[in-house]
Amino acid sequence: MKSYHDIAGDGGSGVLEQVAEQRTRIADGLAGVRHLVAVGSGKGGVGKSTLTLYLAGALRDRGLRVAILDADFNGPSQARMAGVQRAVFVPGTSKVALPRTATGIGVFSMGSVVPESESVEFESVAHGDSHTWRATREFALLGEILGSFDWGTLDLLIVDLPPGSDRTVQYADFLGPHASFLLVTIPSQVSRGVVARSVAALSKRSNRLLGYVENMSGYYCRDCNAIKALFDSREPSDLGIPCLGTVPFDPELARHCDLGIPCASFRETPVGLALDQIAQRLLDDLGTEPRR
Amino acid sequence: MKFLCVPCDSPMKLQTVGPPERGSLSVVYTCPECGYEIAMLTNAYETQIVQSLGVKIGPDRVRAEGASASQADASAEAGEGRCPFTAMIPPMEGEAQRAPTGEPIPVRWTAAAEARLANIPAFVRPMARTGIERFARERGAVEVDEKILDAARDFFGM
Repeated sequence: MKSYHDIAGDGGSGVLEQVAEQRTRIADGLAGVRHLVAVGSGKGGVGKSTLTLYLAGALRDRGLRVAILDADFNGPSQARMAGVQRAVFVPGTSKVALPRTATGIGVFSMGSVVPESESVEFESVAHGDSHTWRATREFALLGEILGSFDWGTLDLLIVDLPPGSDRTVQYADFLGPHASFLLVTIPSQVSRGVVARSVAALSKRSNRLLGYVENMSGYYCRDCNAIKALFDSREPSDLGIPCLGTVPFDPELARHCDLGIPCASFRETPVGLALDQIAQRLLDDLGTEPRR
Repeated sequence: MKFLCVPCDSPMKLQTVGPPERGSLSVVYTCPECGYEIAMLTNAYETQIVQSLGVKIGPDRVRAEGASASQADASAEAGEGRCPFTAMIPPMEGEAQRAPTGEPIPVRWTAAAEARLANIPAFVRPMARTGIERFARERGAVEVDEKILDAARDFFGM
């Protein structure tokens, strides 16, 4: 009797063929992207999205073409922070134009589609059992976004990942081996422990681990222009990957993120300088210069 | 998933896919050798798993979705915006959209512009339509054509 592998094709359903078509469409859509960098952690609330946005800003200031894909469909924050909550999606001849910020950073965020008063829902015939299919549906949506939007010619596409070490690994699988990862932690043992799990999981894959950023490494007091301790952590993070830099917490930066306007006044502060150095380190590691 | 006619040791061919009914698909396979037919009847979980992949099933690729989702697609195609996210999409009715009477100024779409709109994912289509119509009204246009779309793309897009 024949086995599954003795029979050519997929039985007539066309499912495998369509999945392959989706993959091709995604690959074609990203063909002009020089570097795909996923910003993850595993831990939530460590400032992945803020770092993503301001790193993108620092890279844009250097003349690079940068876009952000907010892959946190269930807690999208880039739309608000980048000021594209009311973005208009314009159909091109074959793809949708990517909305951009006032400073020219392309941003796709589900926060531009679904208002903050609503959760992201998917219609289902398997009511009450979203745990069995939800992740598949979300990745299908991610594929549709990657394949349908015009990412054009980019130096960097930065993917702002959702929290969860398991999710970080799922994105590594989905984005493929050419995606590099930058992890974010804060100086607490709890956070470092979770991020260490992400490092361990990613280390089993062929994706490049660029390193980590330690966020909230102190509190920047604008009144006294000094960095004060925020966490009682005297030991450095020991994650076994390079540290690309440390960034103090700046309430003014957080306020601008809430308002969705660029924080121009932070460039000469310790926070701005730290982000600028991390951006440069990132470029050096990736070996990227602005396109001529 | 493949089906094998054991007596003939021959792969069966997918013949038809019945319309989704209460979360179940009816997929009929036929043996090309002896003509024997079987039907695979999916439960809601199986239907949903396939639907979640974003693929269609069958020789004519009938969409592997429940009836409500099919209706949603049809409505979205008709411009009614019944995509899964439509209910969550904020109204975008700025002052520029309204005539002095308070009624929105109607905006026509050319066939070419409609075709471009139909080519984008259903979940952003209603927002795209609303936003572009507002863009057109703000420029005094009463019709969305490809020139307006290109101008909107330059204005909003990367």
